[in-house]
Amino acid sequence: MSSIRFFLVAGILATLTLFNFVAALRGYQSSMEEADLLLDSQLLDFARLVGRLDVTYNHDELRLGNNLAFQLWQDGEIVAQSYHAPQEPLAEFSNGFNYSNFDGYRWRTFSRQESTDGRWVIVAERTDLRYVLAENVVLESIMPILLSIPLIGLIIWFIVSQGLKPLTRLSTQLKNKHVNDLSAIDASNTRRELEQVIQSINSFMARLNQSVEREKRFSADAAHELRTPISALKVQLHNLSQEMDMDNDSWRQLEGGVERMQHLVEQLLTLYRMTPDTFAENSQQVDLYQVCENVIAQQYTLVESKNQQLELLGDHCSITGEEFALETLVSNLLSNASKYTPDEGSIRVVVEKQGDRVELRVEDNGEGIPAVERERIFERFYHNEKNPNDKTLTGCGLGLTIVSHVANLHGVQVSVTDSSFGQGTAFKVSFPGKEI
Amino acid sequence: MFLSTVILVLQEILEAALLISLLLVLSRLLTRKSRENLVIPLAWLSFSVLFGLGGAWFYAAMTPAVSQWFDYVGLEVVNASIQLFTLAALVVFCFMFSSANRINRPAKLNTLAPVLMCIIVVMGITREVSEIILYMNGVMSNRLNVSPAILGAIMAAGIGVSSGIVLYFLILSMPVIWSYRVCMLLLALFAGNLASQAILLLTQADWLPYTAELWNSSTLIPEYSVTGQLLYALVGYEANPSILQVIFYFSSALLIAFSPLFLLAWRNSQDTNDHDLQENA
Repeated sequence: MSSIRFFLVAGILATLTLFNFVAALRGYQSSMEEADLLLDSQLLDFARLVGRLDVTYNHDELRLGNNLAFQLWQDGEIVAQSYHAPQEPLAEFSNGFNYSNFDGYRWRTFSRQESTDGRWVIVAERTDLRYVLAENVVLESIMPILLSIPLIGLIIWFIVSQGLKPLTRLSTQLKNKHVNDLSAIDASNTRRELEQVIQSINSFMARLNQSVEREKRFSADAAHELRTPISALKVQLHNLSQEMDMDNDSWRQLEGGVERMQHLVEQLLTLYRMTPDTFAENSQQVDLYQVCENVIAQQYTLVESKNQQLELLGDHCSITGEEFALETLVSNLLSNASKYTPDEGSIRVVVEKQGDRVELRVEDNGEGIPAVERERIFERFYHNEKNPNDKTLTGCGLGLTIVSHVANLHGVQVSVTDSSFGQGTAFKVSFPGKEI
Repeated sequence: MFLSTVILVLQEILEAALLISLLLVLSRLLTRKSRENLVIPLAWLSFSVLFGLGGAWFYAAMTPAVSQWFDYVGLEVVNASIQLFTLAALVVFCFMFSSANRINRPAKLNTLAPVLMCIIVVMGITREVSEIILYMNGVMSNRLNVSPAILGAIMAAGIGVSSGIVLYFLILSMPVIWSYRVCMLLLALFAGNLASQAILLLTQADWLPYTAELWNSSTLIPEYSVTGQLLYALVGYEANPSILQVIFYFSSALLIAFSPLFLLAWRNSQDTNDHDLQENA
């Protein structure tokens, strides 16, 4: 019901039908009133004719139809009558038109007293047959109105569709636009009513384009402007450590602070870099098992430094996704597991096919996450409140936000459950995919 | 024959079409304001109409047997019962939106409200269309009447359905608060009409006593004129109603008028109204 086409066609057709039919009905009523007058005047002529009848004549030979009857009365006695007229008067002896019932039908009657000899002429016509011809004639004139309504409906549908074409065209143009295409819409050859809409859309597109460009520039500038001084700072710190004795808390806090700043900048840039546009552009078939192997190879040093057991299980499975984003997802889940698992703990990464889906599972035997906190861990800058001062847990609170963001880009959710180790946490992401 | 067919069929179709239009308007207004899906889905409506048509055919076929019930006043009693059942469904629907339970029972409202709406539609169509079927069966036994009766029925159906559609768009074209008010006002009058008709039928069946005629406006607006038919369908116009009919007409209309759904429409501010409707749904 919310379609403009339906609204216009139904509204116009209903209004047209309503007024046409009511007008036709009024036409019918007027025509029938006119026909009534005409038929009455015919009945009057018939009465005049009967009044001049020769009473000695055999009136059965008149062969009147079933629809007509007459009586000729003189001095209270019937002197002539049609064959099916009763013996009683057909109507009252009073001049004029009336109705009466006899012979099982309703009749229109006319009575008239002849001025010459005082005879009463009563004529009658069956009402059911009286209007048949007139009604048929009038209905024949109404018939085209009835029959034309479906045709009018089709024509209205066609005209409305033609009228809505520019709107449909605009809608198709917008629908077919690529996510990255923020170019202006062609406003030539369009209807006046749509010009303002197209101008507003184009102005919006232009503003959006500028905003996207600004964001791209910011990402690039931030990447360069923030990374470079941090790298320089790290080099200077390293040099300083070579030249001086830096075995004290202040030095270690300074070094840890620079590490965290670098991590934060990297994570922030990763978060901003992964947009639906870039995802749609770079989406392809990816071997999730292979991605896990690569990430494990990159992060093995981290795991090894804590003497943790790390195993990768499962099969090579193909999913549709963006390789860099998926690497970031696995990397963040893995570093998170390593971070919250004590030294010599165990971490397991599993990629396996389950029906028409591929499940990625990263589980550990760390302390685990209480059920009440599991919803909040994906919030930006969320930190584990149990260990707010634990300096070993360097993190910026964006890792799991990025995991959730990547999962959303792929149209899937991350679920957090208890680990199969008996203690610890398991992160599960289930992608649509297949085994290779 | 043509004109009498138009008048009878129009009386029945117009009533059903206007009822469906009012329910659709109300359903749409409530949906527009609510986060929940309260509208009668079009599939539900189509099934209700089909079910109503099937019910009408069955009821018309059963009429000879039904008319012999209750000492040969079965038809009047059953028709009155259908009217009263429809009225009850309408009253329950309007009272479901109890302001005391605005937020607490959304799930119940969402299932029960469309079901009640569909019951009202099915009952309305069964009652109205069965009378058309009986009438058409009667008049078409005479070969001469076939063509005028069919043409008359088509014309009446065209006028009735078009009136329903035009009313639907007219009410929806008003400002939201006014379309809601007009819709509720017409529903209240429709409830009065249902009660008045039920009383008339029960009086004809001698189940209720005859009471004096309160007025006679048949010379001013004859019941069987097109205007009379339109007014009958819209506000339950009767040229010469009895005292009992008038009492029940206004009682039922007032019952709806004091329902939470109706009162909601007469709050002063539209914002309040939108807000309350959202919460109700």
